[in-house]
Amino acid sequence: MSEVYKRELVFIVAGIVAAVMMVTYFFDIPVLNGVAQQFQVWALIIQLMAIGLGAINLVRLNYRHIQRKSEGIWVFSAWFMVLFSIMLLLGLVGLATGSEHAIYSWIFTHVYTSLSSTLYAITGFYIFSAAYRAFRARNIDAAILLIGGVFVMLTNAPVGAVIWKGFPIIGGWFNIAGQVPAMRTFTITGALGLLAYGFRTLLGKERGFYGEAGQ
Amino acid sequence: MAIIIEGRMIALLLLVISFALFYFYMQQAKSGAKISARTFPAVAAIPEAVGRAAEMGKPIYYTTGLGMGTLNNPSQGPQTLAGISILGHVVRLCSRNGVRIDYFTPIVDSLPLVEETMRTAYLMEGNPEGFDPHHIHFQNDQSPYLTASLGYMQRERPASNIMLGGFYYESVVLGEAGNTIGAMQICGSANTHQLPFLVATCDYTLIMEELYAASAEIAGDPDVLGSLRGEDILKFIILALIGVGFLLGIANNTTLINLLRM
Amino acid sequence: MSSESIWDKLQTVDRRVFYWILFITLMIPYLRPIGFPITTNPPPKGIYDELSTVQPGEVCLLSINSGVSAWGDCLPAMVACIRMLADQGAHIIVWGMGHTDIDITWREIMDRSPELKDYVYGEDYAYFGYIPTQETTIALLAEDIRAVFSLDRYGTPINDLPIMKDVNEAKDFRLMLSSDTGDVQGYYIRQWHTKHGTPIGSIGIAMNASGDLPFFLSGDLFGLSGGSRGGAELEQLTGKPGQAITTMDAISVSHLLVVFAIILANVGYFATRGKR
Repeated sequence: MSEVYKRELVFIVAGIVAAVMMVTYFFDIPVLNGVAQQFQVWALIIQLMAIGLGAINLVRLNYRHIQRKSEGIWVFSAWFMVLFSIMLLLGLVGLATGSEHAIYSWIFTHVYTSLSSTLYAITGFYIFSAAYRAFRARNIDAAILLIGGVFVMLTNAPVGAVIWKGFPIIGGWFNIAGQVPAMRTFTITGALGLLAYGFRTLLGKERGFYGEAGQ
Repeated sequence: MAIIIEGRMIALLLLVISFALFYFYMQQAKSGAKISARTFPAVAAIPEAVGRAAEMGKPIYYTTGLGMGTLNNPSQGPQTLAGISILGHVVRLCSRNGVRIDYFTPIVDSLPLVEETMRTAYLMEGNPEGFDPHHIHFQNDQSPYLTASLGYMQRERPASNIMLGGFYYESVVLGEAGNTIGAMQICGSANTHQLPFLVATCDYTLIMEELYAASAEIAGDPDVLGSLRGEDILKFIILALIGVGFLLGIANNTTLINLLRM
Repeated sequence: MSSESIWDKLQTVDRRVFYWILFITLMIPYLRPIGFPITTNPPPKGIYDELSTVQPGEVCLLSINSGVSAWGDCLPAMVACIRMLADQGAHIIVWGMGHTDIDITWREIMDRSPELKDYVYGEDYAYFGYIPTQETTIALLAEDIRAVFSLDRYGTPINDLPIMKDVNEAKDFRLMLSSDTGDVQGYYIRQWHTKHGTPIGSIGIAMNASGDLPFFLSGDLFGLSGGSRGGAELEQLTGKPGQAITTMDAISVSHLLVVFAIILANVGYFATRGKR
């Protein structure tokens, strides 16, 4: 299929699906409601198929690295293949027996959980150093940000109310009257940007969507 | 007979007005009407980031964030695509200056698009052999993506980090890690929850719809510029509605609220 | 010899020094709890108040969209809510988007909720496992659960589960709780609350709390638990202390340290500002 047809096909499919979904959101047309629901079912099936395809693709990619002995990569690819095989095998055993294999659970509970939690916990340290570096009262705006930030932090931490009962009151004010309007503004402007993006996509004008971003 | 579902009439009206405005200004832009978009410091800094990498002989780290792991996500997908649009521009600059660019992503369905974008960019610079698919790094899921990115930053010490897309908690980790190695950092996201971290850790930040508009500034695309103007008009309409709502609210009048609920 | 003054040094303390101080001081409250009093705020109170109105037999949904990495932030609140719902005699249905870790999270919630011991699977609660949660799936679930799930996580046809007898769409749920590290609760707000009016409560990581607050104030969310602080408030409100209340001392210590570091940096900054 030529590139032109590929582009047109994406354009037509995206256009039809978007039109049906939009019309059924605003209008009650029983025939179209059924079509919209079918589209949603297809989307779900495609997403699930994508997971399977992704797994196959990963195996192919890593197999190729091992086969070619790609420098600095093939060892990790081999390690991936070993772990992938173990998890797949244990998963299949669990499926056949109807209950999760003990080793499978152990790997998830004691390896995956620990690694994930550790990595997420690192953010605490990074937020610390980022706050230390960024919160400088260089001008009046930065000073307000700093003061607001400190009050909100001492509102969130129970120790704040112990130090001074006024911290949660002022911090609460910063939290509601200070930041909520800004968040609402971000949400509205972000939604407008998304709306314009969607419209350009529907008209076939969004190059990123059609894989022409480099042109 | 088709009937409008209760409570969605005004939403439909606003959608129609939005689309009409976008279309009108896109046509205007195409017919040659001058629509100026303000220069984003973050976009203006991209050549500096590439130049810095060229001077230091170091690569550039580029990522479009977690983006919920798929292009299908209605709020994250467009951000990823906007990041990929700008990637095309950055790759062309890199190709011109002989700078290596490494792209990291956990979004599996963006890979063909990224490959195509980078390949096309090198091709358009007359440097097709400059494209190396090994510089596109895919890691499944957030934690492996973060670990790989942190390892890369420590080993390669990129001169500049460009992070444009739908970010989650990786924003502060990548931002601080980049800061540790002294990289110049340009970032942008439409995820409200990550903006404070990006602003705190990066040198330049594209905030919310600026991310979508940045590609317009780069390409000077009349369609994008036109829709940007449409967005601005919509902002005035929303501001007017908020102003009227505020005044009516003081007067305890619920007319506008009832109208918007129609 | 370095010409850096003490004021300059205050602004450029090596981050690793702070990391070590933070690491060590965080351990203290865990080894020797201090027990700072915790006040409750309207967003978590909103969850508590709404859950208090649930009648026995009403069906509630928990959508676990946060992974194990967010256990510190989300798990205590999820546990507090499930324990409270079980006390109320609610029927509970659980699904979520954590394709790698939703099973472990649900298992952990059950382990920490002794109230579920008397619950009968299929009658009082059901677990459906992973769904590929894009907005389309959430929209489809709002209209026809059976189009997404034909079996539960253990392979039982959902039509064989008594709890599912009168449940097939968003309107059939008394309320739903979304535990979230990203924006899945936004899908539920758009597809479940706006379209079908299902009340939604949000359990999110601390990072997301500021972004979620406008939705609580606008009434799109009946309640909001942000981070471990939200969890601690829920534990306090339900009178069942757990992990989050223990964490609060560490939160206090870490926040105080951050404030101290910021003050140090600014003292250095102002002392040297005139010389620049």
